[in-house]
Amino acid sequence: MALLFVSLLLVPAIIAQESATPWDDTHSFSWEYDFQTGYISTSPLFTGEQLLVRTSGNDEPAVTAFDLTGNKIWHHSNAASTNNDMSPLLSIQAGQGQCGSWPDMVLVGWTSGLIEALAPSNGTVLWSTQSEVIGWGVTGQLALDGEFVVIPTRQGVGQYCLADGQQQWWTETGLGWRNGVTVDELGYFMGDESGHLWHLNRTGNATSHALQLGKIRHAPLVTQAGILIHAQAAAGSTIAVFNPSNATLLQQIPAGPSPAIPSVRGEYVVTGDSSNLRRLHCTNVCKVIDVIPFHTNGEIGWFDDGQILAPSNLPESNWGIFFIHDQENLTYSPIDVGLYGYGTAAPIQFSVGLTSFTVFGNDQSILRVFSNIEEVETSSLEEFDWGVQGLIFVIFLLLGTSCAFLLSGKREWFWRTSSLLALILVLLIFPDLSNQWSKSFDEQFPEKSSSEEWNEQWPDAWLGTQIVIFEINGVEHSIGGFVGHDDVFSLTQAACKELEIELTSDLTGIGWYVESIDGIEGEGWEFSVDGSKGIISADNSIVNTTSIVRWTPV
Amino acid sequence: MFQAMGVHGPTLSPLASVLLDVVLLSCAFWLLAKPTKRPIFDSLFMATLVLSVSLIRVVMQPIPNVQPVTVAALLVGAQLGARRGAAFAVLVAMISNFFIGDGWWTVFQAAGWASIAIAGSRLSLVTSTGFNLGRACMASVIAAFWFDFIVSFSILDGTISFTEFIIYLGHGLPFDFLHMVGNLTFAIWLGGWFTRLLEEEPSLEEIEFTVVNSHGIDG
Repeated sequence: MALLFVSLLLVPAIIAQESATPWDDTHSFSWEYDFQTGYISTSPLFTGEQLLVRTSGNDEPAVTAFDLTGNKIWHHSNAASTNNDMSPLLSIQAGQGQCGSWPDMVLVGWTSGLIEALAPSNGTVLWSTQSEVIGWGVTGQLALDGEFVVIPTRQGVGQYCLADGQQQWWTETGLGWRNGVTVDELGYFMGDESGHLWHLNRTGNATSHALQLGKIRHAPLVTQAGILIHAQAAAGSTIAVFNPSNATLLQQIPAGPSPAIPSVRGEYVVTGDSSNLRRLHCTNVCKVIDVIPFHTNGEIGWFDDGQILAPSNLPESNWGIFFIHDQENLTYSPIDVGLYGYGTAAPIQFSVGLTSFTVFGNDQSILRVFSNIEEVETSSLEEFDWGVQGLIFVIFLLLGTSCAFLLSGKREWFWRTSSLLALILVLLIFPDLSNQWSKSFDEQFPEKSSSEEWNEQWPDAWLGTQIVIFEINGVEHSIGGFVGHDDVFSLTQAACKELEIELTSDLTGIGWYVESIDGIEGEGWEFSVDGSKGIISADNSIVNTTSIVRWTPV
Repeated sequence: MFQAMGVHGPTLSPLASVLLDVVLLSCAFWLLAKPTKRPIFDSLFMATLVLSVSLIRVVMQPIPNVQPVTVAALLVGAQLGARRGAAFAVLVAMISNFFIGDGWWTVFQAAGWASIAIAGSRLSLVTSTGFNLGRACMASVIAAFWFDFIVSFSILDGTISFTEFIIYLGHGLPFDFLHMVGNLTFAIWLGGWFTRLLEEEPSLEEIEFTVVNSHGIDG
């Protein structure tokens, strides 16, 4: 009986172990196509049962269509487009408006300034229009607005009829590069190379805001907190939130160099740069909730199943896959898709029948397609967790027997079964209960002490950021400049990564326990936040934007 | 609460640790010492009891703040008396911490469980009618909070202010609650059985003494 009792108590620890399925195990290689020369600089497009890929930087910049088995269907080139074409292809469904009607089509913006509407079935040019060229032509993301397409040209933005490509208006802005357009209720937003954020109403009247944060090389994102941009400066970047109604910058979050094109889904935003991939939660304000070291400078693929796939833009590098767990945690793992080297094009995912496809392309101009057959019955069997099912069975058994004993007047056994049930339930909710309690407690009773002082020898760049100090063998190792970390553990991990210090930790029922830092285990490590001793686990200890965390061996 | 991370209290040098163990061990022997010689069976029983409960504590250590020792100390105090209950508490704290982790906190754990054992000896948990479950449950609930409170003092090393200590106690409330539920479960499931296990059978000499004494009175 005692053994059974102990075993029951250990069940929650068993079910706490999660199993992760590597991407490589669930996806199989289908086919590849080697364009031999040039780059795939922007995401492929699946439309009308065909896969469209644009290539550039070679003698024959083109859009090429394939069927799902890898057969080439058509090829449309533009030899005048001599620079890298990175304006994403835009799929348009058939419709009609005041300018007339239009069929299904794909819009292509070229660095030669040409904008073409192609028939997805055979690549026929349905209409075309020419925009200005100042070294480059169109490089940004086109936007659909009802019966119009809004096109960011080299030094302006124009509205064009989908039916015939007729220009409705064109307004001059600053010089742009990769500066896509975003549509909102009041009009359009776009940025330029001089750091101006432009807002245009639907008749083309423009207002500009000099943000002075750096180059805006993506389509601004509309969030509940405001317009989010990731501006590129000479030695870094800034994620900023701007309120267009009163022209004020609400937030500025320092980030790494060479920002990627940020992506938004609901209240969540993902940004990237040469240092990190970040996830932000934007409601009234944008709050960084995840920071994962990763080098990405181009497009970021964010799919319906919550997975994020991004190319790592480094020599010999590969792709990174990021999983979101219950909107809480973002985890990263590299995946090997057989393409190595620089890349800025986001992969795409789409499903045909029960098969889902993932398509990758990079600067090696190789297209690789992977497929994954969704075997519903098999996966449901694999997902069957006997530990969880057993625990649920035990809980219901205890609940049932408690009721039975209560009704039959066997009070002693009623108390036995119900107390065991209560203990199991409390153990199950305990990690969440403890975390929430600690967070609420910290919010209600914030610690005021701040005896950890600024060290004059630290670089000014660390001012206003999060700093970590490790006392290792009597020597202080400090690192700062961190932003967006919410807890001590996350900040410590980032600091160890930056200082190349080994950190070992263990997940226990009450949080992460730091076992060793730089190989030193001793009798444990303790931390302080702004001079106040940590009194709960590091992952449950909250840090603010300018906290100084100190780790000392016991 | 003592399992909260990042706080360890004062660090002991190896010499201080040895001294601490010697002091604790001396306390246990002093508590167990008796003018009359104890039968070897009593000593073996006590040793078995201490080792078993220590082992259970070590095995259950991965489960946060579910402490079988608290209820055990309460009932050992109730059945074997304050001295042996306190000695039991000190020895269990020492032996189990040898595996889990020894340090300054061992003193506070030993003190916490010893005080609970003493309280158990005074609370009439076992009466002539048998084990009083209701009273034992009440005592085990209070014991959970009391023990955690006592052990919380181990973090005081001169660097923690009163406010920080109160915040520390507040953070530990979910752990106290879990300790309480665990105690209740142990008391309900094992309280009666454990009490009977600890019930002292009168020795032959004691029976003989009682019989002779009663005859003497009659005569």
